[in-house]
Amino acid sequence: MNPSNGNGVGAWWRNWRWWLLFWVAGSVALTALVLWDARSWLQDGPQATFRATKLNLWPLEILWWFFVPVILLVHRSLARAERHWLWAVGLHGLLALIITGLFIVAQAYRLVLVNHLPITFLPVVVNDLRWMRGWSYLPALVYLALVLAIYAVSFYRQWRAGQRLTSQLQVANAQLETKLVRASLDALKMQLHPHFLFNTLNSITSLIRNNRTREAEDIVAGLGELLRRSLDHKQEAMDTLERELDFLGRYFEIERIRFQDRLKVEFDIDPKCLRAEVPSLLLQPLAENAMKHGISKDPAARLLRVSAQRDGTRLLLTVYNDGPALPRDDAALGRGIGLQNTHARLQMLYGDEARLRLRDNSPQGVRAEIILPFRTSSSP
Amino acid sequence: MSLALLVMVGGLALVFLGPRESLPAEARGRQDRDVLRIVYTQALRPDPHVRMLPLSTYNQFILSLWEPLVECDPLTGEPQPAAAASWAWSDDHRLLTLRLRPDGRWSNGDPVTAQDFVRAWQRLLRARIDLAYMLFPVKNAEAYHRGQREHPEDVGLRALDELTLQVELEQPRTTLLAELSDPLLAPMHHSTDQALADQAFYEQPAALVTNGPFRLQRANADGYRLESCPAYHGRAGVRLAGVQFIRANSRSMGALLISAGKADLMPSASFSAERIWPTRRPLTVETELELGVVGTYFNVTRGPLRDLRVRRALALAINREELIEESDRARLVPAWSWVPDMPGRPGLKLFNEDAAEARRLLAEAGYPEGKGFPVLRMALPLWMEGNPYPAACGERWFKELGISTYVSYESPDKRSERFSAGDYDIIYGSLIATVPDPADLLTTFTMPAEFSETKWRDDEIIQLMAEANHKTGNERLSLVELIERRAMAAVPVVPLMFERRHTLRATEVKGWYEDPLARQSPKRLWLESAPIAPLNNPHTGT
Repeated sequence: MNPSNGNGVGAWWRNWRWWLLFWVAGSVALTALVLWDARSWLQDGPQATFRATKLNLWPLEILWWFFVPVILLVHRSLARAERHWLWAVGLHGLLALIITGLFIVAQAYRLVLVNHLPITFLPVVVNDLRWMRGWSYLPALVYLALVLAIYAVSFYRQWRAGQRLTSQLQVANAQLETKLVRASLDALKMQLHPHFLFNTLNSITSLIRNNRTREAEDIVAGLGELLRRSLDHKQEAMDTLERELDFLGRYFEIERIRFQDRLKVEFDIDPKCLRAEVPSLLLQPLAENAMKHGISKDPAARLLRVSAQRDGTRLLLTVYNDGPALPRDDAALGRGIGLQNTHARLQMLYGDEARLRLRDNSPQGVRAEIILPFRTSSSP
Repeated sequence: MSLALLVMVGGLALVFLGPRESLPAEARGRQDRDVLRIVYTQALRPDPHVRMLPLSTYNQFILSLWEPLVECDPLTGEPQPAAAASWAWSDDHRLLTLRLRPDGRWSNGDPVTAQDFVRAWQRLLRARIDLAYMLFPVKNAEAYHRGQREHPEDVGLRALDELTLQVELEQPRTTLLAELSDPLLAPMHHSTDQALADQAFYEQPAALVTNGPFRLQRANADGYRLESCPAYHGRAGVRLAGVQFIRANSRSMGALLISAGKADLMPSASFSAERIWPTRRPLTVETELELGVVGTYFNVTRGPLRDLRVRRALALAINREELIEESDRARLVPAWSWVPDMPGRPGLKLFNEDAAEARRLLAEAGYPEGKGFPVLRMALPLWMEGNPYPAACGERWFKELGISTYVSYESPDKRSERFSAGDYDIIYGSLIATVPDPADLLTTFTMPAEFSETKWRDDEIIQLMAEANHKTGNERLSLVELIERRAMAAVPVVPLMFERRHTLRATEVKGWYEDPLARQSPKRLWLESAPIAPLNNPHTGT
């Protein structure tokens, strides 16, 4: 017999076999004590009387010692049989009556013995008990209370098991959700890379056509470096702002070759923000958008400024260009694949806590703003 | 499980619906031939100075084992020789000299001596007041009991020689001789005190030495079995071979024991008339009026109760018929006087009920509709909590007169303290006579005021009682009636109810006689036509 049921040390009391052993030992001890005490009466000794034995003196409530296991067995059988609840109510009602009847008969039998009445008087004494002071229905109440307690414990156990299952499911769901998010992010990133590559390759083609082969070579070299670094952490959904800016710097190196001296890139970064975690490749699509719809649309435009600031619990990222204002056609706004991706990723990762906004900057230029929770890798 | 359920339901149905009538009564076992079996339900001790209820069982038990100096004729109430063969009064009726019978013997063969009575009575004087008061008429007995006298020799009890006992009284008391028939005044062998203390009689019944018609044969938790005592002087006149006192768990079980043929007699307060007995054993219920009274005592020194009109109003407002509960109709009867009917002396009708007159008297006393009347405190002992009658009296006074009563139940110590201080208005209680004499119940009105419940004193009543104690016969009865009329007119008490006593008897018990003091001695009874079971009957009695 193993005292442990696998739930660890101290769980012996969950093992019904120990309880059975305890009950059997108790029953044997109780019976032996009662018989030993009544031995003189059982042997019809000269001074022996049933009146002085524990069988007469002990309260009848001791019978519950024998009734309780029966009740537990009945409950277990009912639970296994999965009967209709009305059937269970009926059976428990019948058992309550039977146990009450047994108590009354036990009391009457004891009176028959102690008063030396003939056994044929047992029905008379049973009736006499009612006539004298009414039968006691307390055993029925005790029985029903016990049954209610057993059901309560049973329901509590089921509820606890349900709770455990629910939390396990929740954990599994969360893990699954994380995997799904990661898969989605990867998919988005996979959408991003071809787009960027397509633009860059167009630039290289353009440089080659214009016999600017030297510059085309530089771009190819820069692009190679960019792709290498990109592939290094493509499995990561998040990255530090510092690495993100470094990556962005590589991107601007390529774009600077394309636009030669016309492009001026400024970084206005609060050093405290460098360790902040941001979705990887978050800024590059905004920068690319600024280049495509701002710098390249207006020959006079040349400034592109990236800034990062902390505002309490929030991180504010801005990509500014001094190109032309946004077109009046709202539908055109945010239609670009890069912006759509960025917006989708922010929603996926932060929900309502993050925001992406594209607006005109007075008196000139366009600002792309991202607000997201300020988190570092050590944040909870 | 279904089969087990079926068996249990079937078994219970057999028991619950089994036969309950016309069962065979058990035939008397051979060893019970001529043994009278008396059922009792409360603890019984073979000690004359431990009185048990009902008194009739105590009396029968003690009078089976011990014999007092005299016994009263149940018909006339006249004292007859018992342990004493003769007696003589001094001229002033203050000295009683009793001569013991020379053939009086203890169960161990020792002669019964005068010193055995002196020893027993000195022991009684050291007992509780409700027992010791029996000897208070004896000179210095009350003072000795109350600790005002140290030496027992100061008490007016003297063993002049082996067979001569002298009793000196404080005052003449013609009823004293009858009072000596009380089981409390039985003699005690010098070994008895020790035998009772160590309860040696359970192992050695002969250790309990007695002088009565029976001696102890066996004692255990189921009761006592007595056998005819060979040393008893009147053995030839005793027709029973023995008496068995059988303990039953309740009156109901006792009645079933008799019905089953296991017992023959059971005194009890009441039996339900409509009870159907489970056997056809011939049984009868004997009924007799107890020589006692239940009533309320007014503390006449307190507030409005000093006014006779108020006391009369309270008495007139009671409705006795209404007061007695339906379940007690067989046990209680309305009391219109302090002394109930007695053989040769019917009870008087000294009270009536008239609520309108009660209200008029109360208004005349200055309390119209009870206005301005203080709350009456009724102090009762704790054991009386289940008694509905004190509160019912209070209800009646409130309903008819607008007088409120506060009923309090208190511990003996608290109650004794309250009694000593006189801090109560009303006491509810009962009084039981110890001699078959109407004056016995009236002596409560001659007690010193500080010891009486009513704190009431009437010198003329004391004078009349002293006079009556010198008289006998009709002359005495006339004086006693005068005392009762005078006392009831002053209303220090209100008699409410008399009690009836019942005895369930198998008709094979013969020689039963009425006794207002419930002292039917088993030595006067016998068994007749009792069917005897053949040998080897498995049911061989208890």
